[in-house]
Amino acid sequence: MNAISASSSTSLEPAASEHADPRFAHPFGNPGHANAIDLAELARQLDAAASWEAKNRLLVQLAKQLPDWSPEQKTPDRKVAGCESQVWLAFSPIKQAENNVSWQLAADSDSRIVKGLLALVLTAYNQRSDSGQFDFEAWLNERGMQRFLSASRGNGLRAITRTISEHWQNQPQPNRA
Amino acid sequence: MFDLAVPRFDPCYYRAQFAIFAHHPDLVYLDNAATTQKPAAVLDAERQYYEYCNANVHRGAHRLAVAATDAFEGARATVARFINAASCDEIIFTRGTTEAINLIANTFGESPEQLSAGDEIIVSTLEHHANIVPWQMLAQRRGVLIKPLNLTTEGEIDLTHLAQLLASPRARLLAISHASNAIGSIQDIRAICQLAHQRDCKVLVDGAQAIAHLPVDVRALDCDFYVFSGHKAYGPTGIGAAYIRSDILRTLPPWQGGGEMIAVVSFSGTTYASPPQRLEAGTPPIAQAVGLAAALDWLSGLDREAMHAHESSLHRQLEDGLRQIPGVVIHGQARQKVSLTSMSFAPIHPYDVAQFLDNRGIAVRVGHHCAQPLIHSLGISGTLRASLALYNTADDVNRFLAALSETLEILA
Repeated sequence: MNAISASSSTSLEPAASEHADPRFAHPFGNPGHANAIDLAELARQLDAAASWEAKNRLLVQLAKQLPDWSPEQKTPDRKVAGCESQVWLAFSPIKQAENNVSWQLAADSDSRIVKGLLALVLTAYNQRSDSGQFDFEAWLNERGMQRFLSASRGNGLRAITRTISEHWQNQPQPNRA
Repeated sequence: MFDLAVPRFDPCYYRAQFAIFAHHPDLVYLDNAATTQKPAAVLDAERQYYEYCNANVHRGAHRLAVAATDAFEGARATVARFINAASCDEIIFTRGTTEAINLIANTFGESPEQLSAGDEIIVSTLEHHANIVPWQMLAQRRGVLIKPLNLTTEGEIDLTHLAQLLASPRARLLAISHASNAIGSIQDIRAICQLAHQRDCKVLVDGAQAIAHLPVDVRALDCDFYVFSGHKAYGPTGIGAAYIRSDILRTLPPWQGGGEMIAVVSFSGTTYASPPQRLEAGTPPIAQAVGLAAALDWLSGLDREAMHAHESSLHRQLEDGLRQIPGVVIHGQARQKVSLTSMSFAPIHPYDVAQFLDNRGIAVRVGHHCAQPLIHSLGISGTLRASLALYNTADDVNRFLAALSETLEILA
């Protein structure tokens, strides 16, 4: 599902699959990972989870595949405001081609269910360079996951996707900086 | 011959009066501290008001307006009776507890007779944000100082610290909850008012969590202000009340301007109506006031001692059960608690637990419960709160405890 440019041989950035920072070496939306998980695979697993309990159990399982951050990595500037649980997001640039940078994403939460939701978010947004290509909310709705998009502050999913979009809009492209 | 061991209070008899449980037969509703469900008596009263006597109050020269005014002022009398105010005029209708506290901060707080720059407002660490933020905003406007009142490790007011704070000649107001929404602690308001009044410090009591559970007699408590919401006492949303003792009420300036609150309006000067109208600008929430009165009448018709015994017994069952489940920490060990319990399960997040409980039809609240200073003083980031009401049953509590045990195993 991800639109990934062919890796440039001139890239100075590590390939996502061999990222030096273990936070970024997760399987979600990371085709270079040995156990890579893409949106099609997630859709299959979520659709197979018929009940809410099954969906919640699946989210808890997915959370286990997302590396835990160290306390030092959970800095205030990486924290996403607007969630009842604590959520941290980090971005690492991947230089795909001369004028094309995408972002490798990492995330953690103190809630297992929110961390499972973060796994979905990462799969949708990892290694993308802009936010306009994919309707994540529509994808969640198709999976019957709309309750996680409610205006409740419980999981703050919208705050998380908004933070990613803002990062894309506000960060200077590092290869042009 | 007859079985004399029949329960004095049968929650199922009352539960049957709440249509929501017919529409959600498997619901275990343990979020009563956020809002209670509404009995038929309240829904019927609002509907009947609209069907039989809807009109605007206080002005109309026609029979419906008279009926509406009677219903609205009758509701004020019901509120006054329910909390034993000396006069109906001491009851100001508001949208709820939050607006009631803001009203007091914007009238008592703005009155030069009552407060000057440098005066002190004592606010307990237990308080809901609604009883903190309006005072902080007032402090910014008027240069008064907020003095946080400490808690004991059990989660009760530290009376020694209170005495220290009251020793200041500038202490003018104590803002304190009757019962904590986050950890349930009930304060000895009567004793606290006595202490404060000895130092000429007035007392505002946030009764949001007490009104549905405890007898409230504002004259016996001897508080100066008592505020509560209708929706936490089986009544509608959008209606609450501020009791303001008449000698203070007489001195208060208006806060919102508009119709209803004036005597004479002209561009050379406007004079204001007497309280309570002075503090109720615009068309009030009439049907909601009628609904609130129906709720209080309905509560008054119950054997409230038996109701209290029922809620206390369920609460004991809840806390005894929680102590048997490994990994559960109960927050707040006050000697007297309303029927709610805050808990955490570190490292398991309360939000995750609530999601699995919801899968089993169990409704609870998680988070900081709008009491961040308290939650931070407990050294945690949030709790899961189970709060009981008169229609909850022993089966509700058992289902909660069983589901919680299973959930903690899933998340372990």
